[in-house]
Amino acid sequence: MNRLLVVFLSLLVGSVFAHTNEHANLGKQASSIKASGKVFHQSISIIRRMHPEFLHHKRDKTLRQGVRTDEYSLKGCVSCHANKNKTNNQYHSVDKKGQFCSDCHQQVGVSLDCFSCHRTTPKEGFL
Amino acid sequence: MNKTLNRRDFIKTTSAATIGVATVASGITLTTFASANKVPVTNEKRWGMLIDTNKLTEADIDGMVSACQQEQGWGSEVHSTGAQRPDWIKKLKVKDKATGKISNLALMCQHCEEPPCVDVCPTNASMKREDGIVLVDKHLCIGCRYCMMACPYDARSFVHETLSNQKEHMPRGKGTVEACTMCVHKVDKGEAPACVVSVNSDAVIFGDLYDASSQISQTLKTVQSTQIRADLNLNTGVRYSGI
Repeated sequence: MNRLLVVFLSLLVGSVFAHTNEHANLGKQASSIKASGKVFHQSISIIRRMHPEFLHHKRDKTLRQGVRTDEYSLKGCVSCHANKNKTNNQYHSVDKKGQFCSDCHQQVGVSLDCFSCHRTTPKEGFL
Repeated sequence: MNKTLNRRDFIKTTSAATIGVATVASGITLTTFASANKVPVTNEKRWGMLIDTNKLTEADIDGMVSACQQEQGWGSEVHSTGAQRPDWIKKLKVKDKATGKISNLALMCQHCEEPPCVDVCPTNASMKREDGIVLVDKHLCIGCRYCMMACPYDARSFVHETLSNQKEHMPRGKGTVEACTMCVHKVDKGEAPACVVSVNSDAVIFGDLYDASSQISQTLKTVQSTQIRADLNLNTGVRYSGI
């Protein structure tokens, strides 16, 4: 019985640590924004839950109405959340295994189709 | 309770309300004129192009094609065969059989006012913006290619292979239809399309067809110009003179 309790408790504690606000691959620009203490996303939980809706809404506004603001643009996401390869100083694709986008999507089993058309690395000197 | 309003209170509330309205109103005007990109495009403008085939040399057309390729990132598809390769803008040689006069045209999406590609699209992916630019919404495109069949100008292409490293402003992917966007990303910033910029002379003029004082409207008023396949009554945004 005690052994069961230990297993149960360790699972509970493990799941708590698994859902911290830290992200291993936040991205080059996003990490430096965070380190500088600036707040980019008002609420982390809202952007985590709602980003597909935000992106869907924005894509229609941009394509059909020509509204080209930075807020919720996929270009903006990629430019902040892409990591750089330390050895050759090139950007990793955000949808590559272990990178910012694919990290969560793989875990929850979501296959996203953004990057069969959209560029996966930021243009140099975009921000 | 005393419901009557004395003079002093009346002045106080009215002036507060006036200041409030004035603040809100000035805020609205500020946001409206702050940046053109923040507000949706309207049908007060219609973008168009006038191509003078007498002034346009063959080298100019080649320059226009390569400027388009460079700007939008097409033309380096390796797995597509000749007919499959995208052709957003092409060089066309037309000959008048009676006189033997040869004209060179740059032919791309004509940005019709009544686009047949929009009529036939089953998913609303083929669409016309309020300012007259005809685009493909690749989010909705299912790759049926009806629009390619419907277009009298053969202006659209289908992507046959997996692509990577696309231009940031021009997402392109396998299984969707694409065409000239009149460099909509540049137009929204107040710039002219890449092909227009690449031509040094005034052989290609870009501008607002609804603005009577624009260079394109002024020129259209004075020179003889035509639409290709004018018999279809599509009212194209791209017009030609000298053919």
